[in-house]
Amino acid sequence: MALNVTLRMFRYRPDQSARYDMFKVTVPDAANVLDAIEQAWAQHDRALMFRHACHHASCGTCAVRVNGREVLPCIVPVKKYLDGDKPLTIEPLKNFSLVGDLVVDVANFFQKQAASGLVITRPTENKLEGKPIAYDQGLDPASVETVPFNRFENCIECGICLSACPTMAASVKFFGPASLAALERELDKTTDPQRRARLLELADDEQGVWRCHSAWECTETCPQNVRPAEAIMALRRRIFAQRFGFGK
Amino acid sequence: MSVPHVLIIGAGSTGSATAHDLALRGLRVTVVERGEIASGTTGRNHCLLHSGGRYCVNDQEGAIECIEENLILRRIMPHVLEMNDGLFVALDDEDYAFKEQFLAGCAECRIPAREIQVAQALKIEPFLNPRIKAAVQVPDGVFEPWRFCVSFLATAKKNGATIRNFAEVQDLIFQGNAIAGAKIFDQRTGKTESIGADLIVNATGAWAGMVAAMAKADVPVAPTAGVMVAIGKRFNNMVINRMHKPHDGDIVVPIRNTSIIGTTSWRVTQPDAIEIPQDQIDKMIEAGQLLMPILKKGVQRGVMAVARPLIASANVDARDFSRTFEAFNHRKQGGAAGIITISGGKTTTARGMAEKVSDVVCAELGIHAECKTKTTPLISYREFYN
Repeated sequence: MALNVTLRMFRYRPDQSARYDMFKVTVPDAANVLDAIEQAWAQHDRALMFRHACHHASCGTCAVRVNGREVLPCIVPVKKYLDGDKPLTIEPLKNFSLVGDLVVDVANFFQKQAASGLVITRPTENKLEGKPIAYDQGLDPASVETVPFNRFENCIECGICLSACPTMAASVKFFGPASLAALERELDKTTDPQRRARLLELADDEQGVWRCHSAWECTETCPQNVRPAEAIMALRRRIFAQRFGFGK
Repeated sequence: MSVPHVLIIGAGSTGSATAHDLALRGLRVTVVERGEIASGTTGRNHCLLHSGGRYCVNDQEGAIECIEENLILRRIMPHVLEMNDGLFVALDDEDYAFKEQFLAGCAECRIPAREIQVAQALKIEPFLNPRIKAAVQVPDGVFEPWRFCVSFLATAKKNGATIRNFAEVQDLIFQGNAIAGAKIFDQRTGKTESIGADLIVNATGAWAGMVAAMAKADVPVAPTAGVMVAIGKRFNNMVINRMHKPHDGDIVVPIRNTSIIGTTSWRVTQPDAIEIPQDQIDKMIEAGQLLMPILKKGVQRGVMAVARPLIASANVDARDFSRTFEAFNHRKQGGAAGIITISGGKTTTARGMAEKVSDVVCAELGIHAECKTKTTPLISYREFYN
C-alpha cells in the first residue's frame, strides 16, 4: 500500500519573502513524516533545506511543526495526519532565527546547553539488574573493573520545548525549558558545592526559572518525556531551600 | 610554502574524522556537506560501537579494525558512548556448535570475550529468550551518530577547520589533468562559488562513485542497503547479538529508550531515498523476536534504510563483502591528480579511516606530520556552535 499526500511546505531564504510550496509525494503506508519530507527533496526540489540524521528520535535534528504542532517527524506516521485531500503544513520551529526553509539556527540553544554543563551519559536508572565488565582499561583481563550500566540522557536537544514555550516567544534570552531541565539533572548528579552553587545561580538568574509562566507546553510537547516543567518547579524548590534553609 | 588547503567532501563519520585528523596535523581544512551533518549513511546507523565480534570468524581484517578503534573511541569520545558491552547468544544447536569457532575468532582478533553462564546472562538481561544455550560477553557499545560526527567537527573547528553544511558539490574544477577545486552550491544563499584546493578528499561514502565520476574516475563502491526497525521501548542494557554468521535481524541495539533491530543487506543502484520492501521489515522483526520475545510488545517507532559504502569484490555476496576500508589515490590509477577517495569501513572505524586517508593526503602533498588522533580527546559537540 502507498499513501498519496500533499505537503504544504514553508519556504524561506534570507533574501526572499517566505512562501508555501505544495509538494505531492507518494510514500509507503507505514512512512513517517520525515520520509515524506525527504521524498519532496528527492523528487521535487533538491534545494529544500531540512535537518535530519538518525531517523529514530536520537539525534534531535529533524524537529519541525506539522499542522502547527511541534513534533519529531522521524517518528510520527503520515497516516496520523491524513484527512481527505487536506495537505500537511510543514513549518520550522518557532522562537529560533530562520536559516532556510525548515532549518533554524540552533547555536544559541546549544550555547545554553553547554552552560548547563550536562554530560549526556549517566549511570542507568533503569530497573534491569546486573553489572557488566568494563574493557576500556585495555585488553588485560586482570585490569577489568566493575561499573554500573550507563545511559544517554533522555533529552535529545531537539528544541521542541523552546518552540512551544510562550515565555520563549516573549524573550529569546530566557534560558529555556530544555536547558533548565539540564540544570536540574546536573544538580541531581553533582556533589561539588562550588559547581552546585554556580548551577543554582544560573537557574536563579533573571532569565532563569522565575520567568517561566507555568504553561507546561514543554512537558506537553516533549517527545522524550523529559518533563522540563517539573524540573523548573524542582529548581524553584531548590532555590527556596538554599535561601531560606527549608524544603528540599 | 603556505599551508596546503584540503577540501573534504562529506560530513559523515569519515569526513568528520578526517577533518579532525588533518586539522591536528596543521593543514588548512574545509569540509563541505550537501545537507545536515550525518544526514547520509552515518546518521541512519545501527549505532553499534562494534567490538568486532560480529565479524571475528568471517572477516577478521574488519574485526581487528573494529576492536582497535573501539578501544580508542572509548578514550577520546566517552561522552557520546553508552558503554554497556554486548552479548552473543546461541539460540539453537547450530549456533551452539558455532561457539568454539566464535571464541577462537575473538581470541585471534584479540577481542576480549568471556563466556558467562546462561543463568547469569538471563539475570543480567531478563528479557532474553529464556531458551538460549550459551552467552558470550564482548565489549560492544552504542554511539550517538550525529554527536559522534559533530564532536569530531567541533574539535576540527577549534583547530582551525571551516565546516560548511548545506553546501553541495556541483562539479570539480580541472586545471589540465589535475583537480584544483570544486564548484559549490550554497543552499543558504542560493549562490554558486568556487573553492580552490591543493587536494580533495572524497569522503562521500555510498555516494563516492558519483563524486569520483566528476573526476572521471571509478571506485569499486557497492552501495549495500540495510533496513533497521526502531522499537519505542528498551528491554536490554547490553547489545544482544545472535552467535552465528551475520544474518538478517540478528541484533538488537539498545540506545537511550529505544531498541533498534537490524539488519538486512541488499545491493542498491543509487543511495538516495531507498525504498524499503515490507517483507524485509517483517522478516527482521520476526528474527529479532527470536532473540527477545518481548519485542512483540514494543511499538514500532520508525523504519529506516540506508546504503553502506562497502567495497565490492568480485563473486562475493553483498552480505559477505569485507567491512574493511580503502583509500584510492586516483592519480596512481591513471586518473586525475588532486583527489583521494576513502571508502568502505564502518562508523566504528571512522578514526582509523581518517588516519589512513590523511597519511595518503600528507604523502601526496609531501608533508611530514604524524597522526595524533589516537590520543587526542575530542571536545564537546556543543562547542561546534560556539
